[in-house]
Amino acid sequence: MRKWRMLWARVKGQTAQEREDEAFDAEIREHISLLQRRYRAQGMSAQEAAQAARRQFGNVTTLKERQREQRGFLSPAEWARDVRFGMRMLARRPALNAAMVLALALGIGANTTVFSIVDAVILRPLPFAQPQQLTDVQSSDTGHQYEDSDVSYPDFFDWRAQNHRFSHLVSFHDTSLTLTGVQRAVHLDGEVVSWDLLPLLGVGPELGRGFRPEEEKFGTRVVLISHALWVSQFGLNPSIIGRTIHLSGDAYTIVGVMPANFRFPVDALQNSFWTTLAVDNDGTPKALTANRGAHEMSVIGRLKPRVSLTQANDDMNAIAARLAKQYPDTNTRHSSVRVESELKAMLGDTGTLLLIVLGAVGLVLLIACGNVGNLLLVRANEREREMAMRSALGANRTRLVRQLLVESVLLGLLGGVTGCTLTFVATPTILRLIGTSVPRAADAGVNLPVLGFALAVSLASGVIFGLAPAARFMRGDLLSPLKEGGRTDTGGQHRLGSVVIVGQVALGIVLTAGAGLLVTSFIHLTRNNEGFNSDHVLTFLFETPDSRYGNSRAQFYQEYFEKLRALPGVESAGGSMMLPMTYNGATVSFENPEHPLPKGQLESASLDLVSTSYFRTMEIPLLSGRDFTDADTEKSTQVMIVNRAFAQKYFHGEDVLGKKLKPGTSNGPTSPPAWRTVVGVVGNIRTRATDRQMDPMYYLPASQLPNWCCLYSVVRTGMDPLSVEPEVRNLVASMDPDIPITDVRTMRERIGLELAQPRFAMVLLSAFAGLALVLTLVGLYGVMAYSVARRTREIGVRLALGAPRRMVLQMVLRQAAVLVAIGIALGVVATFASGPMLRAFLYGTGARNPMVMAVVCGLVAVTGLLAAYLPARRAMRVDPSVALRYE
Amino acid sequence: MSDRKSEVLQGTLDLMVLKTLYAMGPLHGFGIARRIEQVSDGVLDLNEGTVYTALLRLQQQGWITSKWGTSENNRRARFYSITRQGAKQLERETENWERVAGVMDRVLKLERQG
Repeated sequence: MRKWRMLWARVKGQTAQEREDEAFDAEIREHISLLQRRYRAQGMSAQEAAQAARRQFGNVTTLKERQREQRGFLSPAEWARDVRFGMRMLARRPALNAAMVLALALGIGANTTVFSIVDAVILRPLPFAQPQQLTDVQSSDTGHQYEDSDVSYPDFFDWRAQNHRFSHLVSFHDTSLTLTGVQRAVHLDGEVVSWDLLPLLGVGPELGRGFRPEEEKFGTRVVLISHALWVSQFGLNPSIIGRTIHLSGDAYTIVGVMPANFRFPVDALQNSFWTTLAVDNDGTPKALTANRGAHEMSVIGRLKPRVSLTQANDDMNAIAARLAKQYPDTNTRHSSVRVESELKAMLGDTGTLLLIVLGAVGLVLLIACGNVGNLLLVRANEREREMAMRSALGANRTRLVRQLLVESVLLGLLGGVTGCTLTFVATPTILRLIGTSVPRAADAGVNLPVLGFALAVSLASGVIFGLAPAARFMRGDLLSPLKEGGRTDTGGQHRLGSVVIVGQVALGIVLTAGAGLLVTSFIHLTRNNEGFNSDHVLTFLFETPDSRYGNSRAQFYQEYFEKLRALPGVESAGGSMMLPMTYNGATVSFENPEHPLPKGQLESASLDLVSTSYFRTMEIPLLSGRDFTDADTEKSTQVMIVNRAFAQKYFHGEDVLGKKLKPGTSNGPTSPPAWRTVVGVVGNIRTRATDRQMDPMYYLPASQLPNWCCLYSVVRTGMDPLSVEPEVRNLVASMDPDIPITDVRTMRERIGLELAQPRFAMVLLSAFAGLALVLTLVGLYGVMAYSVARRTREIGVRLALGAPRRMVLQMVLRQAAVLVAIGIALGVVATFASGPMLRAFLYGTGARNPMVMAVVCGLVAVTGLLAAYLPARRAMRVDPSVALRYE
Repeated sequence: MSDRKSEVLQGTLDLMVLKTLYAMGPLHGFGIARRIEQVSDGVLDLNEGTVYTALLRLQQQGWITSKWGTSENNRRARFYSITRQGAKQLERETENWERVAGVMDRVLKLERQG
């Protein structure tokens, strides 16, 4: 308690130094004048009295100084003196100090850069009111093979009506529509939500109003538009509210404009409109809003005040269990619910990955601090005499240590400032590398918290690497270096330097091994066989709205693909609704008469609706049977094609051709799902570039389900696939000028986008590992060079006594080898202990890959010995006569 | 430095200042120095400036407080007075001092044996 009080008094005192100085001045002046008056009264002359008074009072300057020191921590004058002196010391060895500042700048800059991303992605709360109350709500099936899944509308409506823990529950799913009636038709991304999205988020429109509850009702078509759309299509016209616009042929009323910074979902940067779930209701009993088996919605909730996640989970699970009993046919596999923090759910593994990267870059800084610490230790050794001299002249130990710390903090700050400059350059570069693979990363930038972090890191590292040399002066005999010939080798700081080197090597191993694993994994991913040929393939999407193509979609596509195939440069073309390497996908259950199951427990698999020639265009091998043909129409025999994994899983290698299955897919409200004959088997494909296995899949001919929209076009070309883009656009425009083409990318590019996250993790970690390795080698070189310099006399004596030069070389190398070997051993242990952290991000390699480990250890050992070889060679060439004369 | 004077032991000055303020009530630095001089009968060799170091230390501990007032010279001076915590501390320190002094006394009175 007393200690704290004293500390506080000093903190206060430090801030009020100047005022207190004046007050104290007045106080002692008065004291002396009173003394003087007394001596005058005793009969002294004025001059004598003044002298006697001063003698009696003691040394005023010393007293003031001491008073100032006691009052705060140090006087401003002393601070200034220490800092000035520190600057002079830094200026004296520019090369050495520049090297230290550079090492720190790299370390601090890398840390600040990664922190700026962590700040934007993880630390910053969601941009909505009371974001901690926002939760993600998923349908789930605890304890079974089925993972969390999206939610169906009827389930959502029951959740919304029956729960007690949420003030709002909102369903949402992506959609895309075509805006027509403007200069040029545009394709827009948007979101279908329940009415209370804005109240849930606590956000208001910048113009107009939000949705009303009755606007969820059948037949309503209202939209909120984004600020960007307001600018680009409506010229910021304030009378836009209430106006009717045409989206994919339907008339919608604009009720509001959202603010420019509004994004929902947070990672959907492109969303231009929000509309109510009324659009999913076609008024029939088969409508999406009435289909309990169609799990297509995401759900976000706002917890009521003071409600915990556990309470919400319990509440929702009770409801889900009740629904599973009530609707066994549809809900048996959705008997529970998982409620978790919205931010956490959105980040998923990405958050972990970013923290791993932040940890890695922290290790790099630690290594840099080790280097600077070692260099300072060397310099502290050179300054032994200076310190001894100052100590002999009356400086106390605290003063000396403080001087050293001021110097190292100065170094740290210089490194920090340079590092921040690096951050300004590095952050945009890394953001480009990340692309859209990390939600919210685009918001990253250098801001106040980031600069605060940089400052804190600089100060902390200044203290960390400043402590070693300072500690050296805290103990031991300061004066011995002044004694004649006092070049005693104190083993202490040398041992400390060695410990630092061992630590650096160990950390370097951990980082390099981590990078090695990610590189191995990435190579595996890029060499992955996708099951199709991604070269020379162009893909794009356009809508075929129901309002125009409701009855003619199949014919339109058939005609379109024929024309597409006839374009110059096009080798083949086809269409797919759930194109691999896009986020599209659907899982639909099917009945299998050979393994009848109750309705709620049917098997399900991924499906895709494709056109003729799709397999040929993608070069997915047809293993047996036939491809879809133009003869497969709505009226003909209903058919399907399965992949090899499907045949193996559900038919155990039997001949599946001719088997009959009934997938739960229907072509609209009037036609129930049909029995389909398997007519072909194709090879497996990877639908996402980071899928660990190729899942069972089945394909249906799009021509037999013409109510399903829309097909991605896949075009195989003989040349650069992008070169056919203009002709493709012309073709579509000639068939219908109101359908804009969107999402034009080569298949290669799509795979590249899917690999953005593993790629940026690999590049960053490799860069950091490289940096760590270089810093470690430089550090090792420095310590060995210094050790050789100090042992010059000893080596001279050995050589003079007849030691062979080769032995001197070996002696130095052996010393380095021991350090490196201990470091490697510790590093291997640490790597094996920490490796499993990376497991979720590794493909085609385990977290403890012995090959990677061997290569990394070999690399560190060889480069380490190389770094030690230069000083060792210098040691070998020592001239004994010079070395001995030197003393 | 005169042979007859004794140096002030480190730490004892704080106790002296505290006791003086306890006995005499609020005093300025000059007054405290006079009082200590008077009581010690000129035996203590004291740089009067060091009184101020003690005063600052005691103030930082919360054992005394200060207030501006007017000196005999009719000028502004800082008057110090003891706080309740200071009085308690004085009690503790006095006990401690007496114990140590008693031990010292007995040790110094030991006769040479045999």
